[in-house]
Amino acid sequence: MRTNPLLKRIWRHRLLYLFLLPAVVWFFLFSYVPLYGIQIAFRDFRFSGGFTGSPWAGLKYFRQFFDYYQSSQLIRNTILISGLKLTIGFAMPIVLAILLNEIRNLKFKKTLQTLSYLPYFVSWVVVVTLMQRLLTPYGGPVNDLLVSSGLLKDPIQFLNNTSWFYQIVIGSDIWKNIGWNSIIYMAAIAGIDQQLYEAAKIDGAGRFRQMWHVTLPGVRNIAVILFILAAGSLMSAGYEQLLLLNGPATAAIGSVLDVHVIGAGIGEGRLSYAAAVGLFQSAIALVLILAVNRIARKVSDVSLF
Amino acid sequence: MRNKRIKAAAALLAAMAMGGSLIGCSDGGGGGNSGDGGEVTLKILHNWNGSGAGDVEADLTPIAKAIQAKTGVKVKMDYTKGSEVEKVNQIFATQDLPDIYTGPAWGGELDGIVKAAREDQLVDLSGKLDAYPNLSRAIAKENVPPALYEKAIGAFGDQSYMLFQNQPLTDKDAMDWLYGFYVRKDIADQVGVDPQSVRTKDDLYAFLKKIKDADLKENGMPVFPLGGFSNGWAVGIGNTMFYGTEYLDQGGGTLEHVFFTKPYEDYTLYYRKLLAEGLLDPEAFTQTDPIAQEKIKQGRIAVLAAHLPAIIDASKDYVKAHPGSDYVPIGPLERAGAEPDRPVDLGIQGNNVTVITKACKNVDAALKLLEFLASEEGFKLVRYGIEGTHYDMVDGKPVAKAEFFDKFAADTTGKAKKNEGFATGFEDMTGQDRTNTLGGDIWADQERIAKMESARKILRPNGISVISAYNAADVMAKSPQWEELKPSMDKIGDVWKEAVFAKSDEAALDIIGALREQIKKTGYPEAIQYVNENLKGKEVVQLQMPN
Repeated sequence: MRTNPLLKRIWRHRLLYLFLLPAVVWFFLFSYVPLYGIQIAFRDFRFSGGFTGSPWAGLKYFRQFFDYYQSSQLIRNTILISGLKLTIGFAMPIVLAILLNEIRNLKFKKTLQTLSYLPYFVSWVVVVTLMQRLLTPYGGPVNDLLVSSGLLKDPIQFLNNTSWFYQIVIGSDIWKNIGWNSIIYMAAIAGIDQQLYEAAKIDGAGRFRQMWHVTLPGVRNIAVILFILAAGSLMSAGYEQLLLLNGPATAAIGSVLDVHVIGAGIGEGRLSYAAAVGLFQSAIALVLILAVNRIARKVSDVSLF
Repeated sequence: MRNKRIKAAAALLAAMAMGGSLIGCSDGGGGGNSGDGGEVTLKILHNWNGSGAGDVEADLTPIAKAIQAKTGVKVKMDYTKGSEVEKVNQIFATQDLPDIYTGPAWGGELDGIVKAAREDQLVDLSGKLDAYPNLSRAIAKENVPPALYEKAIGAFGDQSYMLFQNQPLTDKDAMDWLYGFYVRKDIADQVGVDPQSVRTKDDLYAFLKKIKDADLKENGMPVFPLGGFSNGWAVGIGNTMFYGTEYLDQGGGTLEHVFFTKPYEDYTLYYRKLLAEGLLDPEAFTQTDPIAQEKIKQGRIAVLAAHLPAIIDASKDYVKAHPGSDYVPIGPLERAGAEPDRPVDLGIQGNNVTVITKACKNVDAALKLLEFLASEEGFKLVRYGIEGTHYDMVDGKPVAKAEFFDKFAADTTGKAKKNEGFATGFEDMTGQDRTNTLGGDIWADQERIAKMESARKILRPNGISVISAYNAADVMAKSPQWEELKPSMDKIGDVWKEAVFAKSDEAALDIIGALREQIKKTGYPEAIQYVNENLKGKEVVQLQMPN
């Protein structure tokens, strides 16, 4: 009797698969099991009926969303903010990883790397509270410094101001995530064969040439994969950050789908409507991932599937 | 081989640690009640944002222990931090239910409870209430405001799901919170304006402008002419200078929601002007409570809009350090549509609806607890403390023990009171409000009472009139279009703030106009027609001040 080669392979690498197991369980429990709840987007959710016992409503809640006078504004704001995060924020961790890689003092490099990903572990509530304290025009240290050094005549209202909204949102997002997102690139760089650098040196390549011709191509594949995955979040701008940073003054440019979903679902108890909007976001995300994946495969031969 | 085993063991440990952390992330569930040797433990959700016992164990205070001794019920209190409406929706959607819920008797919170009752999430108490006279009395039709009775308490025919608390037992128990604009006395003196000379919206604007022009500083930071508490509470109460109430009579008894009227536009543009000219704190609508409190404690708000008890509490420290800086009432300000000699129209009603959820395994114990709390004995225990320890009865009236009175008066944090079990949530389940009937608030210090009385004389020169007429909003909520219409109507508050921050008056009116169209599109014309038909010939609320 022949043994299944897949099972044989899994058994051979059982320790590695054991490491994988919690992640698989996590995704199964928190990403796949809740999928059955999607049906409430097509039902009139009742507390008594729950997910499966509430009456069917067809596309009522999708129609409600597209009839909502701010739906196009919400979609536009979401795409714009996440698009900015994607275009600006995506490249930053690569730059940081490459710069860190160029540091020769190991202690300094490790310290810098640790410091760079610390903000990732600070919650948005704390980050925004800090920003409120630091950026307030009424005694905030940033404004005080700018005014006392003569760079500004009058303090600036940074928060709740349309002129500064995107800068604050994108800047704080980069600050918070750059270190953490650079870890995977650092790992990719560590995996580059050192002989390539030596060969480049023999060919007369300086530090910059080595970076350009060896390091960057070395992280290209992982960058493409991450970009494909990140494209899926184009319809999701990050609810915690925008829930906290958006205010009445910036509502026209800062109201996004994620916060709208939370407000409708938890704030107003319109769970079916919220599920419908969430499903719409997910459907677009899926289309985007498929499209970007296809483009990536054609352009660079790298793709998820 | 040994290395391999060590590796395997390490991998297993790592996997277990990660698995354990996953399990740790999930809620163990539970809640409800547990029996412990005959003792019943009930979990109560006290759904008031910011309420709580601080670092005091609410179930271990002398008052909580006395309640347990009387009823056999140990109470585990859970408090809400954040939006009360969100909390209601969250507990029923996730089925993470307490045994007892108590929360606001109005707004989205009440809507959530009514929805829960309709969807079998609450225990029907109709067959049991005969044995609980205090609870029954509090929900008798004659003891509940008509609108609330029709909408919630008595809205389920033979079934009864809701208990009602803090409705004044008699007229003298009615609580007037004295909402208004209050200015720091020293600042009014400094700019040379008598707060009582400020009567009209133009006067108020000129007064705020004078404060702004004085360029006042506190510890090097600017003093805002007008500010409020968290999330804009209650900065917008100047609306009563522009319109009498939410639904305006357009002539011949035809009602229209104020959002569709000119006075609403004027009100919005007035506030836009205050903001644009730096007269209103631009952070007022977005600030958290700690930041709002900090500004008041630092003396950085000249005029505060809120109710007086909140203002007294928030400014206590600053006033102590800067005698003469008390907040004093402005006005009384003009009221749109009201004759100057008219008493102030207030909607005074109980503030709490309490329900027993379907998760409660011991409904009888829950009712026993609530009945005790709603009794005169329970009321006195929760409000006055333990007789002989915290207070004595003198000539039939409760008198605070000097030891505790002084301790509470000296403690500006409120912790000393919470240590004894006061203000930990029980006070919202004590049935009808009998505070003044039984002898008043024995813990209120004389200075506070004097401030309230002084403000009352200024703001209520013609007394108050308790509203008993029909409220058009309650009828609107019964219209067939309401489900579709409600999400649009709920946007009015947010859109008003957005309009206040608009770059120009035109932009502000455009923002309002866009929502008006959406409201119309979602069934407003039919719904207001329903309201007008149902209220034809009935007395409808036309004037109402905040309370």
